[in-house]
Amino acid sequence: MEILLTALPLALDPLTIGLVVLGALLGIIFGSIPGLTYSMALVLVLPITFKFDAVPAIGMLLGTYIGGMTGGSVSAILIGIPGTPSAAATVLDGYPLAKSGRAGLALGTAVVVSAFGGLFSLAVMIVSVDLVARLAIRFGPAEIFALVLFGMSTICGLAGKSLLRGLVAGTIGLLLMTVGMDELDGVPRMTFGTTSLLQGVHLLVAMVGLFAVPQVMNMLADYKSGGQALYRAKAVKTELPSFRQLRGNLSVMIRSALIGTGIGSIPGTGGPIAAFLAYDQARRFSPNKENFGKGELSGVVASETANNAVTGGAMIPLLSLGIPGDPATAIILGGLLIHGLAPGPMLFMENKVEVYTIYLAIGLAYIAVVLIQYFGIRLFVKILRVPPHILAVGILVVCVVGTFAIRNSFLDVYVMTGVGLMGYLLTRFRIPVTPIVLGLVLGETMEREFRTAMILSEGKFDIFYTSPMALFFFGLVIAVIAFQLVGARRERAKLNSNVQEKAHAEN
Amino acid sequence: MVYSTKTIRNVMLATGVALALSLGVTQPAAAEFPEKPVEMTVLFGGTAQTISQLLADLMSRNLPQPVVAVSRTGGGGAVGYAHVQSTAADGYNIVWNSNSVSTAHHKGNMPFNYEAFTPIARISIEVPALSVRADSGWSNLADMVEAVKASDKKLKVGISGNGSFTHLTSAALFDNLGIADKVTYVPYGKGKAPIELLAKRVDAAVQWPGQFISHQKSGELNILCVTSEQRIALLPNTPSCDEAGASGLDITMWRGLAAPKGTPAAIVEKLQNAAKAAAESGEFQEASKNIGFTIAYLPAGEFGKLIVSDDAKISSLMSELGLKK
Repeated sequence: MEILLTALPLALDPLTIGLVVLGALLGIIFGSIPGLTYSMALVLVLPITFKFDAVPAIGMLLGTYIGGMTGGSVSAILIGIPGTPSAAATVLDGYPLAKSGRAGLALGTAVVVSAFGGLFSLAVMIVSVDLVARLAIRFGPAEIFALVLFGMSTICGLAGKSLLRGLVAGTIGLLLMTVGMDELDGVPRMTFGTTSLLQGVHLLVAMVGLFAVPQVMNMLADYKSGGQALYRAKAVKTELPSFRQLRGNLSVMIRSALIGTGIGSIPGTGGPIAAFLAYDQARRFSPNKENFGKGELSGVVASETANNAVTGGAMIPLLSLGIPGDPATAIILGGLLIHGLAPGPMLFMENKVEVYTIYLAIGLAYIAVVLIQYFGIRLFVKILRVPPHILAVGILVVCVVGTFAIRNSFLDVYVMTGVGLMGYLLTRFRIPVTPIVLGLVLGETMEREFRTAMILSEGKFDIFYTSPMALFFFGLVIAVIAFQLVGARRERAKLNSNVQEKAHAEN
Repeated sequence: MVYSTKTIRNVMLATGVALALSLGVTQPAAAEFPEKPVEMTVLFGGTAQTISQLLADLMSRNLPQPVVAVSRTGGGGAVGYAHVQSTAADGYNIVWNSNSVSTAHHKGNMPFNYEAFTPIARISIEVPALSVRADSGWSNLADMVEAVKASDKKLKVGISGNGSFTHLTSAALFDNLGIADKVTYVPYGKGKAPIELLAKRVDAAVQWPGQFISHQKSGELNILCVTSEQRIALLPNTPSCDEAGASGLDITMWRGLAAPKGTPAAIVEKLQNAAKAAAESGEFQEASKNIGFTIAYLPAGEFGKLIVSDDAKISSLMSELGLKK
């Protein structure tokens, strides 16, 4: 309590508040533009923080991180292109909601549940940082491999009507991610002897291509044929979800927040995996399963709660063990170090006050994010009034600039275009693109952890079946696949009997 | 094709200079450098990026134009080196380099070597450290070596990646200690080796001291030695591996700045002086303590000699390990 009282004036200093809000604003802007990420915003913000003391500096970085995480939902919902990889699952239901004229509701819900997820994970962090960190390090390569394989099994739910098409898409994703330098052995793969391809296919570059290019092509094609690709936005109001809507989703929110916090605390996993797993569990346990993918609010709730719960989760290993879980937290680690705060077990003994100001800054950042987004929605939805063919060109320009800026590589722009054209062809063959993203997101971790586990066990497979935690996740994978097969058979039987009845009636 | 444009550019430049000289014009380009921002290519994320951003910020204060740190990661540095190597040798494109110029080349990921660059200045060094869990009972290097020799099991050592600098360092260390054949290297990406050590999945880890210090203070890890010949300021009570029994071992990673080969000496000198002022500033010294690196400024000439001798060292180490292509 005493520490909190010491920390309070530090965190509520006008400079700190101002910088947190500024960071959140920058984060939201970067997060909501496809191709620009919060990692990029953090890199730009870092040198600005050199000039400030530790508390306002860290506050600004955290504001940027949190703003960016929530900002990704804006473009996912409004134009069907996720602003960040973590928001890829938000597209699934957020975009259909917007198309049916409920963009305001989807955006409003995303903001509210984002804050819920973030604050939930913050509470977990405050109460049990040490415990969670101890649990998280028990996830070794074998356990993470099992967890990621479980993530992969969500393809079953994302594949839509044809599981085969879903698997084709997932495999394309896995193949794309093998291009470049292999992280463990440092050898080039699928680079055709060139140096430039060593950089590999960046997840975000491929994702922007997959979502944006087909979208843009459809918009332009529809314009030519006189149709209307984008929905006409009437007066879209900022519509916060009603209390009843939230209460109906409370169990989804809590489960998703737990998934997000848990996965965030395991280094090397991160937001996209959490969002997809949360989305899948929401669909699996929902009474209106069929409505998922067509504009079910619970889908947006699940993925947005989970990806923001990752922020608090990821802070746990960062602060208590000094291990950054993803590129964004690695930049925050740099910021902490440069201001003399060395994360690790000693941080909680030597810098207690700073730790509490970090907690307060996270809370403050969520307040800022909710306020900015609440008033921002009115502004964001104006984008829907832009005629689709003009919007399409604008989206394309932003995507080219964004994909270039990720690594200052023009090759990435070509990759984005190439992957995008492939995505367009695939959608024509009714192959869904979301499993490709899943393959890209999970493939690298899955391969790395599998190989590291095999090196650890000196080539023996027992490392996978002697770990109870790994067995638990393998069991879940089997369960998911079994349910899928049984469900598919039942559906086919129903379909057959319907056809027969119909034939009977006609006779 | 890239080369041809470069050649054309060089020919044009040469013609321009010849024309300027024949007309008796003094060299205005070099005198006024820099006329536009200088781009510093950064090859890695993490600490390398944080230091580079601070360095760029501090160098900007000593130059009329800003120095901008731009990240071009991938291929163990090869992507960024290839970019800078292909730019004009006018000082506007420099690279925040490291021993990776040698590792990337000898691994066969980069068709050119350090000779494609003109050194500007060495800025800092980082020294890998060997750490074990406190509950292993090994409080010094000799304890560990003895236990490994007595055991019939292999020592699992966490490193960053096969062929990474920490791998080369560990290989040299365990070779020196005579237990090279009793070690299994477990490569982890992204600095996860310390938690794998804490979680008892590996027996030892060779990583950067900053990753271990907090856990040593909390009593969970013992840092057995650092691989430079001398002790480092960050860990004054930790012996060097040389002192602790690996006699003659001296491996440090340097970071510095370089420009494409052929950059005019006057421009290199300007950049070198700006780098020197930045490296000696109070802010940079503060950061070196916080982040955990050692400032070790060396002017262009001496830096160049160091790169040559280190390249030979890395090359022979990599051939021994069978990593050289």
